[in-house]
Amino acid sequence: MIRSDELDRSFVQEVMAEPGGEHLITCWSCGTCAATCLVRRFDPSFNPRLILHKAGLGLREEVLSSEEIWQCSACDLCYPRCPKQIHISEVMKAIRNIAIREGYEPPGPFPEVDEQICSGCAVCTRACPYEAIERVTKVVDGEERTVAQVTKTLCMKCGICVAACPSGAMNLESISDRELISRMGAGGWLEKPGYLQGGAEEPRILAFVCQWSIHSDREWEKIRGLESDQLRIVNLSCSGRVDPAMILMALTKGADGVLVVGCKEGECHYQRGTYLGRSKVALLEQMLEQLGIAKSRVRFAESGSLDRFLFPRLVREMVEEIKASVPVVA
Amino acid sequence: MVDAARHPNIEILAYSEVTKVDGYIGNFRVEVMKKPRYVIEDRCNGCGECARVCPIEVPNSFEMDIAPRKAIDVPHDQAVPLVYAIDIDHCIRCYKCVEACGKLDAIDFSQEPEFVELDVGSIIVATGFETFDPAVIPEYGYGVYPNVITAMELERLSNSSGPTVGRVVRPSDGKTPKSIAMIQCVGSRDSRFMEYCSGFCCMYTIKNALLLHQTYPDMDITILYMDIRTPGKGYEEFYNRARAAGIRFIRGRPSQITEDPETHNLFVEVEDQELGEVIELEVEMVSLSTAAIPQADTERLSSVLALSRSPSGFYMEYHPKLRPVDSPSDGVFLAGAAQGPKDIPASVAQGSAAASRAARVLTSDTWEIEPIVAKVWPELCISAQGKKCGICAQACPYNAIIVEPGQPAQIIQAKCHGCGGCAAECPHDAITQDHFTDAQIVAQIRELLRENPEEKILVFMCHWCSYGGADSAGTSHFEYPSNSRGIRVMCSARMDQEFILEAFRRGAGMVLVSGCHPQDCHYITGQQVAAKRFSRVPRTLERLGINPERFRVEWISAAEGEKYARVITEMSEKLASFDKEELRAETERARPAIEKRLRRWMMTPHMAPFLKDEEEQEVEKEVMA
Repeated sequence: MIRSDELDRSFVQEVMAEPGGEHLITCWSCGTCAATCLVRRFDPSFNPRLILHKAGLGLREEVLSSEEIWQCSACDLCYPRCPKQIHISEVMKAIRNIAIREGYEPPGPFPEVDEQICSGCAVCTRACPYEAIERVTKVVDGEERTVAQVTKTLCMKCGICVAACPSGAMNLESISDRELISRMGAGGWLEKPGYLQGGAEEPRILAFVCQWSIHSDREWEKIRGLESDQLRIVNLSCSGRVDPAMILMALTKGADGVLVVGCKEGECHYQRGTYLGRSKVALLEQMLEQLGIAKSRVRFAESGSLDRFLFPRLVREMVEEIKASVPVVA
Repeated sequence: MVDAARHPNIEILAYSEVTKVDGYIGNFRVEVMKKPRYVIEDRCNGCGECARVCPIEVPNSFEMDIAPRKAIDVPHDQAVPLVYAIDIDHCIRCYKCVEACGKLDAIDFSQEPEFVELDVGSIIVATGFETFDPAVIPEYGYGVYPNVITAMELERLSNSSGPTVGRVVRPSDGKTPKSIAMIQCVGSRDSRFMEYCSGFCCMYTIKNALLLHQTYPDMDITILYMDIRTPGKGYEEFYNRARAAGIRFIRGRPSQITEDPETHNLFVEVEDQELGEVIELEVEMVSLSTAAIPQADTERLSSVLALSRSPSGFYMEYHPKLRPVDSPSDGVFLAGAAQGPKDIPASVAQGSAAASRAARVLTSDTWEIEPIVAKVWPELCISAQGKKCGICAQACPYNAIIVEPGQPAQIIQAKCHGCGGCAAECPHDAITQDHFTDAQIVAQIRELLRENPEEKILVFMCHWCSYGGADSAGTSHFEYPSNSRGIRVMCSARMDQEFILEAFRRGAGMVLVSGCHPQDCHYITGQQVAAKRFSRVPRTLERLGINPERFRVEWISAAEGEKYARVITEMSEKLASFDKEELRAETERARPAIEKRLRRWMMTPHMAPFLKDEEEQEVEKEVMA
């Protein structure tokens, strides 16, 4: 039971005094944000409505010490739907700012910088949607060098920096290059001959799918069920995490087509991820022509929060397009 | 409706529009445009032969456009009067209806709009409401997914005289749905659209649910709501009945609806607040309980009748508690949802109340009005000299002033409510207000600033809000400095710029003008007239060499005693920070320029004696002698 003296009335004022927290008190807990939230679809312990409600009640310690407040990635899918027009991600930021001042830290793991390889080129700094990477000058192996450094309180673990780093100095545990490549090739999938090489009856598709672009964990289950000899699915933290080198590798091996699926523009879970992913694929397409690989073998597609059952159609379309437009070599 | 049509004292002008209203309480002259029906009312007997032969089908608005109607039709079967009308925009002029009408010869394509003038004693506005179009909420997919419909459409589908003869079917395949979700508060209680609660949707949704449950006992019915609001007599019992009947209630506002493209089934995602879990409902049909919104032509009619509107857009009553059926214009009354969303019992009650209020006017030989009204000095009005002006008429919120070139402005006293806006706006000072004349106010300014004016804050407050605010500061014992001096006028619109200048000429340390908040103005638009005028004051002061920080505008309601005390305290602190000698010097420097500006006003015959100090008057008397 919570006793009334545990409810800190001044906490509401504290949050509301913080930039972005002004509208906390207008929330009446309708739950639209909770039902919209993508994070919540995969992690039921996260509930933006409950965080706002608890903050409004004044459960100061419980809110500030919770891991949930760090999970909102400010995709702002809920904001335009909120009937009280509360910018929830901004309120979340306001609460986080208080938590940072109180010495709380978000839970890891965070991207790690291999300082011996990092050249301090700042590509990651520019790619990061959250301005969470800065360059610092420090002594590495007795030598003064400029290297990247991740600010933990800002990082949302999208992995865009990992894909951006030209020298492979960035690494994030669950979505490292090694991990993705092993997922691509598991069971010798990549080694089997493709349709274009005359080795399969149907084109074999490798799909990089942003985990947020698929509606729910239940739909993920359904999509996982589609996996076969013809279709391999590799889920990414964000379509911005896609690495053109991996696409090329797949195309030169047993994949006839590579499909990259990201969130709809404007709904990206990591703000700029879709834009980055699409740009990478667009650039790669130009390169493909020079390499003599048909452009239709790579495609970037967007899947919005209101698009359901879109993925099977995307795969089907791609299979048909490859069959229609690319001649079989062997 | 039929009873009304048969009543000897009731004349119904359907398919008509009020275009102009002149006159005042007891003596209105209303101009009504009767739209052409292209069917002669007296000859049509409502047999419907014409509609049977008409080859053109158009959407039937009575059936929420889910059924067709002919281009010649009656609005609905029970329409009063039962006279057909031609939808001329869609008619192809095949004249089959003329043939079908035969001997009755009721069809007349040469009809033009007809204007009728009516002399009436009082007017009741009962123009009703419209429903919100949910297509603007993309996440609910209305207009995209065929099986998402509005509650009004469901109402027509389940009505035995509706297009499906009472069979509820899915638009996608014509089959009766096995499950349905009803979503509450679509467009209402939503800052993006309508902030208010529409009030009656909870009840009609429960009614729809119970009706469906009776007809289709196996149907799985879910109502998704934020709050169920059933405050009327017997309403809670009705809600309990629905619960007992097995209707499922989930507290939560759905975030989105998605559709299975093959089955056209819908997935409604909602967080059940009690559980704290997101539920995904797969249903075959969704009904949206949409907000009640003001009629599209509310604004047009509000200017014809001089009515004010509340922030929600519905017509504003004179007083929310004490005069809930009166409009701000005497003799005009409000009934039903035109004044705000309400259900049938409340509409009937308000209709009866409005009728009896209107009858009071009709049965009276004389009508008492407030004594505080505006008056014109005809010799000063430049309109009388044939010049174009009419500024007073523009400022009047009640259309009570008639200005015709060559004639002095004429105030219809029965329409005037005494805000005094015209008196302050008149550039030639030709209008004054009984009981609040320029001379009386100037005399107050003079007396209040007689001693140590540079230490005083002169406060102009409106009778209805700020004066009440100052009063409430006193009765609530809020402490504030004692150097403020108040002058009460009826409305902030009465606060003439000349009063402010006169106060500074008299050396006032600071001047505060205060009135109602924009939406609370007792005189419809008085506050707006005042706010516009006050926005120009700081620049004027600057030009005259007076620090504009000595002037302040605040909107203080009668309940904001605390705000009044705070404003006075702040102003007092600011005043204390000024150097008194410097203030006096500033006044002396600005005095000639102010006097130059005020000269003509001071010279008006009704003003001159009040402006001068007694000493000056003595000197003048001597000189005259």
